[in-house]
Amino acid sequence: MATGGVNLSKEFFELLKAIGESKSKQEEDRIIAKEVVRLKQKLETPQSGGMGSPAATNQLLTSKKRAKEFLVRLLYVEMLGHDGSFGYIKAVEMAASSSLFHKRTGYLVCSACLSPEHEFRFMLVNQMQRDLQSSNVLEICGGVLAATALITEDMVPAVSGEVMKLIAHDSDTVRKKVIIALHRFHQLAPETVTREDLVEKLRKVLCDRDPSVMGSSLNVIEALAAEDATVFKDLIPSLVSILKQIGEHRLPSDYDYHRVPAPWIQMKIVRILGIVGKADAAASSGMYEILMDCMTKADVGVNAGYAVVYECVKTIATIYPNPKLLDAAGEAISRFIRSRSHNLKYLGVTGLAMIVEGNPQYAAQHQLVVMDCLEDPDETLQRKTLDLLYRMTNPVNVEFITERILEFLRGSTDLFLKNVLTKRVCSVAERYAPNNAWYIRTITQLFEVSGDMVKQEVAQNLMTLIAEGTGDSEEADMLLRQNAVELYVGLLRDKPGTATKLPRILLETIAWVLGEYGYLSAVCTLDDVLKELCALASVKARLPNSTRKFMLSAVFKLVSQAGTCPPHAATVIDEYTRSKDTDLQQRCLEFQTLLTTAPQILSQVFPVDASAEDLAVDPNLSFLNGYVQQAIANGARPYEKPEDDDDDDDFMDESATNKGSGFKMTPYEKPQTPAAAMAAMRGMGGATPSMPGVSLPPGAGYGASTAPVQANTGAPGAVQLNTRNVANVWGKPQAAAAAPAPPPPAATSNAFASPGASSFGASSTGTNPYLAAAGMSSAPAPPPEPPKTAEQLEKERKAAALFGGMIPGAAPPPPAPASAMSAAAARAAASGATPVAAPAPPPPPAPAPAVEIDLLDMSAWDTPAPAPPPAAAGIDIFAAAPLPAAAPAAPPQVETVSDDEEEAPAGGLAAPAAPAPVPPPNPIDNLDPFAAEGLLGDVQDAPLASLSMGTQKFEFNGVPLGPLEITTAQFGQQWGSCPAVAPLEVQSSKVTTLNAFMDVCSNVGAYKVESIVSTNEGICAGMIGGTHVVLIHGKVSPGGMGAKLNVTVKSTDPSVTGPLAMYMQTLLR
Amino acid sequence: MIKAVCIINNHGKPRLAKFYQSVESEALQQTVIRRIYQQVAQRDDTFCNYLEGIVPELGDNVKLIYRHYATLYFVFAVDSQESDLGILDLIQVFVESLDKCFENVCELDLIFHSDRVHYCLDEIVMGGMVLETNIGAILQSIKDQTKLHKDSLSKADANESSSAIRERIGTEQSTWQYNW
Repeated sequence: MATGGVNLSKEFFELLKAIGESKSKQEEDRIIAKEVVRLKQKLETPQSGGMGSPAATNQLLTSKKRAKEFLVRLLYVEMLGHDGSFGYIKAVEMAASSSLFHKRTGYLVCSACLSPEHEFRFMLVNQMQRDLQSSNVLEICGGVLAATALITEDMVPAVSGEVMKLIAHDSDTVRKKVIIALHRFHQLAPETVTREDLVEKLRKVLCDRDPSVMGSSLNVIEALAAEDATVFKDLIPSLVSILKQIGEHRLPSDYDYHRVPAPWIQMKIVRILGIVGKADAAASSGMYEILMDCMTKADVGVNAGYAVVYECVKTIATIYPNPKLLDAAGEAISRFIRSRSHNLKYLGVTGLAMIVEGNPQYAAQHQLVVMDCLEDPDETLQRKTLDLLYRMTNPVNVEFITERILEFLRGSTDLFLKNVLTKRVCSVAERYAPNNAWYIRTITQLFEVSGDMVKQEVAQNLMTLIAEGTGDSEEADMLLRQNAVELYVGLLRDKPGTATKLPRILLETIAWVLGEYGYLSAVCTLDDVLKELCALASVKARLPNSTRKFMLSAVFKLVSQAGTCPPHAATVIDEYTRSKDTDLQQRCLEFQTLLTTAPQILSQVFPVDASAEDLAVDPNLSFLNGYVQQAIANGARPYEKPEDDDDDDDFMDESATNKGSGFKMTPYEKPQTPAAAMAAMRGMGGATPSMPGVSLPPGAGYGASTAPVQANTGAPGAVQLNTRNVANVWGKPQAAAAAPAPPPPAATSNAFASPGASSFGASSTGTNPYLAAAGMSSAPAPPPEPPKTAEQLEKERKAAALFGGMIPGAAPPPPAPASAMSAAAARAAASGATPVAAPAPPPPPAPAPAVEIDLLDMSAWDTPAPAPPPAAAGIDIFAAAPLPAAAPAAPPQVETVSDDEEEAPAGGLAAPAAPAPVPPPNPIDNLDPFAAEGLLGDVQDAPLASLSMGTQKFEFNGVPLGPLEITTAQFGQQWGSCPAVAPLEVQSSKVTTLNAFMDVCSNVGAYKVESIVSTNEGICAGMIGGTHVVLIHGKVSPGGMGAKLNVTVKSTDPSVTGPLAMYMQTLLR
Repeated sequence: MIKAVCIINNHGKPRLAKFYQSVESEALQQTVIRRIYQQVAQRDDTFCNYLEGIVPELGDNVKLIYRHYATLYFVFAVDSQESDLGILDLIQVFVESLDKCFENVCELDLIFHSDRVHYCLDEIVMGGMVLETNIGAILQSIKDQTKLHKDSLSKADANESSSAIRERIGTEQSTWQYNW
């Protein structure tokens, strides 16, 4: 026994040596496995001899040593990733030992090895409680440490009481640990150790006589302040005073580190100041002086000092800006960035990225150094520099910066980084593109390097741009298209045989562009282009079916343009008639039939350069009238309109006579198939705008122009199954419009059900069936989602025009209110992004006033009259811009039907009668819910008669706004489906914090759904009279005197948004 | 918050691994350690001591701050609440404390007395928060413990000695007063 201790150590030594020398993971595993066996054996052998034996003392020593070593070895085994659970019980046993020495080892092993939900943790609670009550300081410390490491949510109540008491303990070692332990408890069980408790304790501890206790409390304060800084605002003077005393070397000299007084405490305080001073001019002003002071004093040329300086820089960048401090920070950054130490360079680049957005002038002087950093072999530094570049991008340097990032992307294999950079390239390219040709080139390169990491909508956007051009001049647009074609033909030719390895997204874009505009190429003939495409589409290539469909659609288009079908194209098409994919098969069969039976109409089915044209659709299916008549003549029963079906005219009459509640608040129906079908036809890439020989009833125009809108607004409901609050403004009239010309459902069904040949055969009476059938099955359909980017791009381009150049201070607010209508028109004209459904300025006469209003009349916000809300509601019933966001968003829909939807009609469902099984893509869903902000520019800045900020609820027609308790997710769903928007921007000195804003919303009567402190955004929801949903989104940002509030009010009822927005404006101002 | 502290040698063998945020399983901990090593080991000593975005297991925005001493990498995984340079100096403090504790610390010390390394770290970082940065105070706590350990080994009655120590600590309390 006497040699036992030595033997054990030797064993342990051998083990470590063996592991140290092991060559492979497998060998190490074997060694550890052996060790585990040995340890298990030890556990089973009795620990020590019987009591009262002569060698008792000695044995006790040995066994304790043995026991401790056993645990240390266990720890080692666990650290190498092996299971040591057999020995856990020993560790728990040890924790209960009377000897502190063993206790700590026991606790240590438990905290390192026990998983969070391990049952042994509960066995330790008793022991911890005992230790916490001990009279021995070290035992208490051990207990607190163990509690911090081992406690779980359920166990908090058992120990929190004891720990709370210890905050007043005599020993500073205990106090400083207790405060951290309490924070841990608060994180685990906020209802047991509440935030209020903790804050109160923190306030006491911050004034502790021992600096290290104060120091540890700062950590906790920072953590809590990061969640919500308001309660700590009054601590600013104390913190400033502490910082000042530290700066004056009032702390004992052993707190100095490399001659800097208590650097960590300084850093913490400076960081806390940054958090509480964020976006708060008043709070910030109290810390300017000390920050300057602190920064100057800490700058003594050692790392610890730089650390403090760097924290000061960060704080200066976050608090309410002060020019003098910013200059000092800029200076410090420039010294960091020029330093030879990589660490300081890193900090310099990070710091510069922080201040550069608001103050680009600081970046200018460092261009060369930044370039050096970009070339640096240190990847961390490279990444930081890329981040910096992204933030300092402006229209002038965008080409250079994008090139750099693309270059980096080419060389990088890090997926995470690639993803981030890809998004950034998209973002800067959209925001700052100097011209369209550059944009197309850049995005194409991005497709090449990042492939499918690029979002589909970017490709969509690109195609929209190519299709629609800038709208400035037709020649310029054609040149642009030609450039794109040459670019893509070049791409295909550069990679003979390997082109199919290009990313899917690029191939699809190429296919679409070549299909649409291949004829523009100057370097090769249409036939050459066709050859390239056929080679791509040949069956042998490994391509996803969706890509093949793109290819084939392009081939179809080129064939119809050429007027003849060359053999290679014929072969490819023929091969695909045997495709496993039924859709592909059908497309090819249909095309073959068209080609052989009616080649003369191919040019109508595949019109040249018409992807951006509007498409007239006859929702009444009047072209079927002849068929219907015939069916009736043959004895079929005529269609009977359901009783409760609202007629279009009734609906309008009602709204005219009863202005207050003229809008239907019943839910949307699922989108009707016609919408999908129409969209599909649009997706097809063109059709003749009006059908010869088909008379369009008034309802037709209405249906056509609202189709995209309906698709937009109807879909969220369908997708989310949340149709409750979505008004049925568009859904029902659609059905009603179909009613006047009632084709028997069966008949329609027949017409559409027979695919391919039969429908073509029957079509000699008019062109519509061709269009319908062909459109349904062969849309080149780049998948959905363009609206967001199209609109965003548009907005961002405008922003670039306004804020471009990054000249500080030269960013005038967007000139707001001309007429919103003309703004919409201007938007439509300014870029090609919006054209199709953005209605032609002269509104079509009569048929559908509602539509006109929706799309054009957004004028309510020109001049917010300071009239009392209800009155305004009465007057402005239609004026409040029901769909300003949806209208511009709609057009890209034109090309966005995914292949899936075409199945619906082809599958034999009667187009108008059947509810669409697949909801059309939903652009609004993709819209950034907050993107509508500021669409209509500023609200007038004239002071309004201010209302007291009391607890008055907003009332609409005498009905008060009541809270609507929903979750953020529900809010998000409803946001997309609320047609009426009223954004406002208020400069407020009264409401400067997010909480204050939320309170205002709550006073108005809305329910606080969520406040997002990190971005200073808040959302609220309310309901008026059980029908009108009201959604409010607000963002608080610092600016001028007080704060700038960007608020967006949305509602299902356009007559509510206006008055409510005005009401809120008065309250907020 | 400090999410994890690791000491790894030049060959990738862990010498200390402490996780302040529960990482789900042992296997995951091993992944984290391995990933940290792979990244850290490729880096030239002249590079900066920061690494970003490589240990998603520990959460978003976790940054590795490390220092390389002779045969060992000391790696702290921290979130955005910690100061970049501050942690770098904290590692230095940790190493200096170990050095004082073991009298010229070397890798073998860390292997054979891994428990003491843990205790030392416990005095500096607790529950992911920086507890103490004053080397003097850190060493004093460790000394007290070691003393107690020795006492408890040599005397059967541990309580007696610990109460003696408590008295001693009680008299050593800082007499320095603040007026904030």
